[in-house]
Amino acid sequence: MSPLATGSAAKPRRVLDIADYSLSYDTAEGPIEALKSISLTIHAGETHGLVGESGSGKSTLAWSIMRYLAPNAIETSGTILVLGEHMTGMRKADVERMRGSRIAMVFQDPSSALNPAMRLGDQLVEVLIRHRGMGRAMAWKEGEAALARTGIAKPAELMRRYPNEASGGEKQRVVIATAFACNPELIIFDEPTTALDILTAKQILELFVALREETGVAALYISHDLGLTARIADKVSVIHRGAIVESGPVTEVFQRPREPYTRQLMAAVPRPQHRIAVPEPSVSEPLLAMQNLTVRYGKPGWLTRLLDPSARAHNGAEDVSLSIRPGELLGIVGESGSGKSTLAKAATGLNAFEGRVVYGGRSFGSRRDYDKAYRREIQIVFQHPDASLNPRMTIGGILARPLRLYRVVPRSGVERRVGELLDMVLLPRDFASRYPHQLSGGEKQRVAIARAFAAEPKLVICDEITAALDVSVQAAVARLLVDLQRRSGAACLFITHDLNLIRQLAHRVAVMQRGRLVDLFAVDDADSPDRHPYTRALLDAVPVPAEPAESLL
Amino acid sequence: MRDILRSPTGIAGTVLLLIVFGAALFGPWIAPYDPQAFHATARLQGPSWRYLAGTDQYGRDLLSRLLNGAPATVLFGLGATVLGVGAGAIIGVSAGVAGGRTDTIVMRILDGILAMPELLFTLLIVTFLGGGLGQALLAVAVTFMPGMARIARSAVLSVRTREYVLAAQARGESRLWIVGREVLPNVLGPIIVEATIRVSFAIMIGATLGFLGLGAQPPSTEWGLMVAEARQYMFRNPWCVIGPGVAVAMTAMGFNLFGDALRDAFDPRRKR
Repeated sequence: MSPLATGSAAKPRRVLDIADYSLSYDTAEGPIEALKSISLTIHAGETHGLVGESGSGKSTLAWSIMRYLAPNAIETSGTILVLGEHMTGMRKADVERMRGSRIAMVFQDPSSALNPAMRLGDQLVEVLIRHRGMGRAMAWKEGEAALARTGIAKPAELMRRYPNEASGGEKQRVVIATAFACNPELIIFDEPTTALDILTAKQILELFVALREETGVAALYISHDLGLTARIADKVSVIHRGAIVESGPVTEVFQRPREPYTRQLMAAVPRPQHRIAVPEPSVSEPLLAMQNLTVRYGKPGWLTRLLDPSARAHNGAEDVSLSIRPGELLGIVGESGSGKSTLAKAATGLNAFEGRVVYGGRSFGSRRDYDKAYRREIQIVFQHPDASLNPRMTIGGILARPLRLYRVVPRSGVERRVGELLDMVLLPRDFASRYPHQLSGGEKQRVAIARAFAAEPKLVICDEITAALDVSVQAAVARLLVDLQRRSGAACLFITHDLNLIRQLAHRVAVMQRGRLVDLFAVDDADSPDRHPYTRALLDAVPVPAEPAESLL
Repeated sequence: MRDILRSPTGIAGTVLLLIVFGAALFGPWIAPYDPQAFHATARLQGPSWRYLAGTDQYGRDLLSRLLNGAPATVLFGLGATVLGVGAGAIIGVSAGVAGGRTDTIVMRILDGILAMPELLFTLLIVTFLGGGLGQALLAVAVTFMPGMARIARSAVLSVRTREYVLAAQARGESRLWIVGREVLPNVLGPIIVEATIRVSFAIMIGATLGFLGLGAQPPSTEWGLMVAEARQYMFRNPWCVIGPGVAVAMTAMGFNLFGDALRDAFDPRRKR
């Protein structure tokens, strides 16, 4: 069931009516069909979820409704009606009248949706002056009231601040207040919580639900997160490669998916109850231990200290002690900026640190002490597959590098081993002669994983390796990692912000907050009452997704 | 290359460059007259069938002089650029990779040099070194160095924090490998593009120095010098100024347009 969804009593008035709408982009390689014969209806007061993976055309559809079309976009067929008015072929002045007053949009990233050179208040008031014809003083008052409705404690003060002086959550509240300011009848939400931290995202979601109750606005809610969509939408459409493959009431689509693609998406959603971890290691002797690790960023120089005695270094990680056993998968979770990646960088010698790292009976007090043997056995995989492979090297060259550097195999065997590595991560062998840009994101991440395992490491540090991937690709990469771990016996330090995923994979979970380790628990104890309140809050913010009615796995 | 020829800018630039390089390579052989031969009976004439681009104050054939001057002018532009860009890129890449205090000191010195107007700085160097084509070339190269170093350094800085460079550092690669294999190949694009555009500046500064009498010396056929020499006869026969002027403009524009197209071709975001 969807407890937060509004009553689904069908109302006759159609706020949005898209019929047989197709759009293609004219590119150098010929036209590319971005949207294929889309039909979608939203009635007054209804929230319609649109779920799909990246590149499926969900944002393109939002832009077509708002009439922000790229110069090379060609609308090949169909109509878009908003409140009975044809958006396709509407004059520019009329489109501008519609935007803001009748339809509004909330974007993914509040920091780029707001003008950094204007006060937040001015940006909010602008809409009121333009679309509701208010005077400045009156609009300012109304703006404060609108902000207050979004749960901002001191709206008058926030109005006078610039975007860089507000947090991500506050900024998104301003964007939402702006969208609701003129009482529009349709609001398009384009992944409004994706760029925010888990806890903030939860608050924004609750705000959306509250404002929807209050105003009765209809919404098109675009998301890649199925669990989230299930909680807030009345109806949902699944979009795949520019076409809507399945559409209907949320409970029906998610409980009894009919199309194979929807089933595949549902199966890929991480569920803690489906454990895919390797068996718990029996050894209790730690493989690697961090002892009182502290990492400081931006240590001020002597001149800076002289001019500004209050200048201090910022602590990325503070006094963290953590150990990992051989063959174990240890998860590290926390919000962005909590110091998760900082630890990974300290362990691989990318950050200077204070404290000790103990590995294999040896104790390292500085990153300069790391030698080749240590570096070979501790490997790291980064978050962005697009950035972690050198664009000017072939896949074969990239994989051969650790083999040659650490002399893993004799020179004559390098080529054969590269082939084996590609087999190991389930990629075709002829990828060795390709360049990174010819691969998809998931394939690139497989190459990055293969590069780490090429060194035959004892510990692989995975820094948010699934964060930039689509949900189905993410599931495949997670399975691959566990499979490689099973085969090689390597331990794994898995950094993520996805709690459901980590509960599937890890044996133990460490929780970081503002550079400190606040909680460390075996994964079975996740629901135990003696968890740290912060852990509790994180777990509560991401509900465990409901099981579909029939088994999909 | 196909991407370059797809844009009108690229085609115009390529055609202009082909003409200029053609003249530079074969000019001295296809010139109809000896560039230094006086034709006393035909001084300061406009274009005619006998003298296609007219004649100058001594009755020398302008077309022959232009064609003969092409190699010197183009070589000057290319030479100065290669020298300046090469040295600048080495300084910029080293500063960017070294980082820290070295970077700060090197860049502040270069900032100081950059604060001086380009032409003024060139003049200063030429005054030190004395006139002549070689000295002028050196001066232009030195002038180009700081700007180029800045561009190379910023390219290095944007690449240095990429994850594939971090991955190489975490692997324990040597600094030489990181610079040579991970960083350099990825910063070459912007440097080459900037260099192409700079050739046109070099040619123009060279012509300016020639015009001021600080570059090539008479009776050289360097284009800037030709304009300078013909200046006082400009009103009796404008052709002796127009000819070399157009030649300089064409060369500069050719390199400029080609460089623009090259930059667009390198930048995937600008592709349609």
